[in-house]
Amino acid sequence: MKKRSGKKWNKYLYAGVVMTGIAVLLGVVGFFWTPYSTTAMSATEKFSPPSLRHIFGTDNFGRDIFSRVMQGLGTTMVISSLVVLFSSIAGILLGAVTGYFGGILDEAVMRITDALNGFPSILLTLVVISLLGSGRQNVIIAMSLVFTPSFIRIVRGEFIRLRDADYIRRARMMGVGKFRILFIHILPNIFSVFWVSVMIGFNNAILAESGMSYLGIGVQPPDASLGNMLSDAQGYLQSAPWCALAPGFTIVWLVLGFSLFSEGIRRQGA
Amino acid sequence: MIRIEDLSVAFGGTEVVKHVNLELRDGEILGVVGESGSGKSVTALTLMGLVSEAARVTRGRILFDNVVLREAGAPFDSALYRKYRGVEMSMVFQEPQTSLNPTQKAGRQVEEVLRLHTKLTKEEIRSKVLETFRAVGLQEAERVYGSYPHQLSGGMRQRVMIAMAVILHPRLIVADEPTTALDVTIQNQIVELLRRINREQKNAMLFITHDLHLARRLCHRVAVMKDGCVVEAGTVEEVFDHPSQAYTRRLVEAVPSRMKGKAGAGRKSGELSAAETGNGITEVPREVPQERAAGSKTSEIQGSLAGSGGSAPVLRVQNLSVYYQDGKDNQSPEQAEGGTGKKRSLWDRIFRKKGQCVVWNADFEIYPGESLGLVGESGCGKTSLSKAILGINRHIEGAVVHNSVRPQMVFQDPYSSLNPTKTIGWLLQEPLRAAGALDHSLAMTRADREAAARNMLRRVGMDERYWGRRPSELSGGQRQRVSIAQALITNPGFIIADEPVSALDVTIQAQIMELFLKLQEEMHLACLFISHDINVVYRMCDRIMVMKEGHIIETGKTEEVFGNPKEDYTKLLLWGS
Repeated sequence: MKKRSGKKWNKYLYAGVVMTGIAVLLGVVGFFWTPYSTTAMSATEKFSPPSLRHIFGTDNFGRDIFSRVMQGLGTTMVISSLVVLFSSIAGILLGAVTGYFGGILDEAVMRITDALNGFPSILLTLVVISLLGSGRQNVIIAMSLVFTPSFIRIVRGEFIRLRDADYIRRARMMGVGKFRILFIHILPNIFSVFWVSVMIGFNNAILAESGMSYLGIGVQPPDASLGNMLSDAQGYLQSAPWCALAPGFTIVWLVLGFSLFSEGIRRQGA
Repeated sequence: MIRIEDLSVAFGGTEVVKHVNLELRDGEILGVVGESGSGKSVTALTLMGLVSEAARVTRGRILFDNVVLREAGAPFDSALYRKYRGVEMSMVFQEPQTSLNPTQKAGRQVEEVLRLHTKLTKEEIRSKVLETFRAVGLQEAERVYGSYPHQLSGGMRQRVMIAMAVILHPRLIVADEPTTALDVTIQNQIVELLRRINREQKNAMLFITHDLHLARRLCHRVAVMKDGCVVEAGTVEEVFDHPSQAYTRRLVEAVPSRMKGKAGAGRKSGELSAAETGNGITEVPREVPQERAAGSKTSEIQGSLAGSGGSAPVLRVQNLSVYYQDGKDNQSPEQAEGGTGKKRSLWDRIFRKKGQCVVWNADFEIYPGESLGLVGESGCGKTSLSKAILGINRHIEGAVVHNSVRPQMVFQDPYSSLNPTKTIGWLLQEPLRAAGALDHSLAMTRADREAAARNMLRRVGMDERYWGRRPSELSGGQRQRVSIAQALITNPGFIIADEPVSALDVTIQAQIMELFLKLQEEMHLACLFISHDINVVYRMCDRIMVMKEGHIIETGKTEEVFGNPKEDYTKLLLWGS
């Protein structure tokens, strides 16, 4: 994407890249190194407000919030990325086949996605989690299931639009094989549309993951996640507001940065 | 009456109209001709004060009866324009579809003009509108009055637009390609109408068109524009018969015309002006291959086929009827592909809705090396027929028998017929890859494939530079060349060309037609050439078929059909061009 721009970056892209870059950097570093151990408790430093020693302060167990935010960021981003990856692959496969071939398979898949869309997504994930049990993998599986229908719809729509394009007709006349038409001839043409939905999907996944761990069905303590940090901090909103502000602010930062990034790319492309 | 003096108009930093001088007298029709992007529309829109905000008049001025309408440097005076527009000057646009408001009845939209500019009572307005409707040839004036635009045909909508333009008897009518979106026969009627209005009302007309035939028929004087400049202006005779500029000459020559004759046709036409032959038009002589001559003899439908001792036809279409199925056609294109030429099964006949029949009992053959023209107006079933031949539509009865490997098709729109994400080189190799995958005896090595593709690229007149480019970096004509190359690279023996030059400018059109003829001869290619432009077909084809409302009404050798049309409809088509 960036290579294409011989032009100057627009300000959306610029802001988005900076914000997302900082978040990704913190998250990645958080996997290997944090200023303090994320689980180390300290009785003497409970609820210490932000200072040079602990820049986001400490929580009710005296754990360093900045370190936990770094870890939470990493968790959230890994889960969201995997969810988007899996559901977009599933979406491309199913959307391509249903959109291009139509017929009974199309009807069946579309009715299933309708049914899935009929439930509130959080309810649906709850059902899946309660069937599979909690844990990282299961969260990813559940969320991927919930996110797939929207990708199917977008891909299917594009394939329906393009399957009768003149150049696809000509490819058929040349005798190009079905799957070559699907994935070599049509697929590259839908990327600009698909990219946008991947971006939006990623943002939604971040929010959904945070929401789930906030409700306690996502990543389990003592592992840090932005959502469960928020829910832990709820009791001390009055006395130690930084406990809630830090993860909350981080979520906003991440989502805003990514929105700006995708908007920037969209405008850069136009 | 109208004087455009040294007018330049710029969008942003680029001037699209440069130093244009035009003069228009009362009662005169001035044609402005030129290819797309030559600035003719912008000139007209600037004159009408309708050009977009982004455009600036950078030099010169426009005078209407010595009143300055617009001048460089001076701001746009919308109050002044409002006084002139509608009353003194009006405009007819190209697209009758979009220039009428779809949510209002036609009558009301025309009334609007009167309500704004006159003080007539309601009844007077109504009767005046009806009277004007009749004057512009709308017989059922009452019905049109109460119809919404979508209930009217393209020709009727254009008549409504013209009614709107002439109802106040303006002194100037600007017509921007008023007939381009219409079928040939309708086009003729509209041109006649404009000519009549001009004669009766004595108003001046600025007629913008890319169609030189039209300009020649309708206008008194013409101005030829290129790249924003007027390259030549004068009376129709001066410009068309004795063009002084090289560009005008090229333009005039590029227009396919029956008057110019075909090589070997030996048609000496009486009405041919001496000047035209003197234009130095050099036709590339076409050799008629033996088979083709033999094939041409069998142009009589069906019966005489047995009499021809020539080679077997590459395509035989027998009693083909094509149906159009309404509602959702959810079958996959691949499924549809499979049904080529098969008769409808018993199951289909009993349980499937037949749908509307769009082609009735088509019956013809195409022989190797021959090109068969298919002419007709939009909606006559040309495209349905071609789809049925290729097996894209399988709602058919009758038989389609191919004798070629895989017939290919060249489409009208050069912008949608090449995959935008691929490079030209990739696109050219794809047919070979596909052929290799289907039949392993045809599989080629990568180097062979590349060499073949590069060779083909050269043969369609494009050089190596384009190999790595994408379609978006090519012009319309270049894209059409690549399309042709793609269709021909597997040497299919038979192709269908669906209006392959209709979307191109005349000079490009001429080049593509030359290319077609050259390749056809080199590759001994049979071709079904579909077009609405009878002159293009005349230039390209050995035999032609005329199609009307799903029926093939006339078939014959090109010269015979053109020289001595049997059907009234064919005469009507011929007369129009």
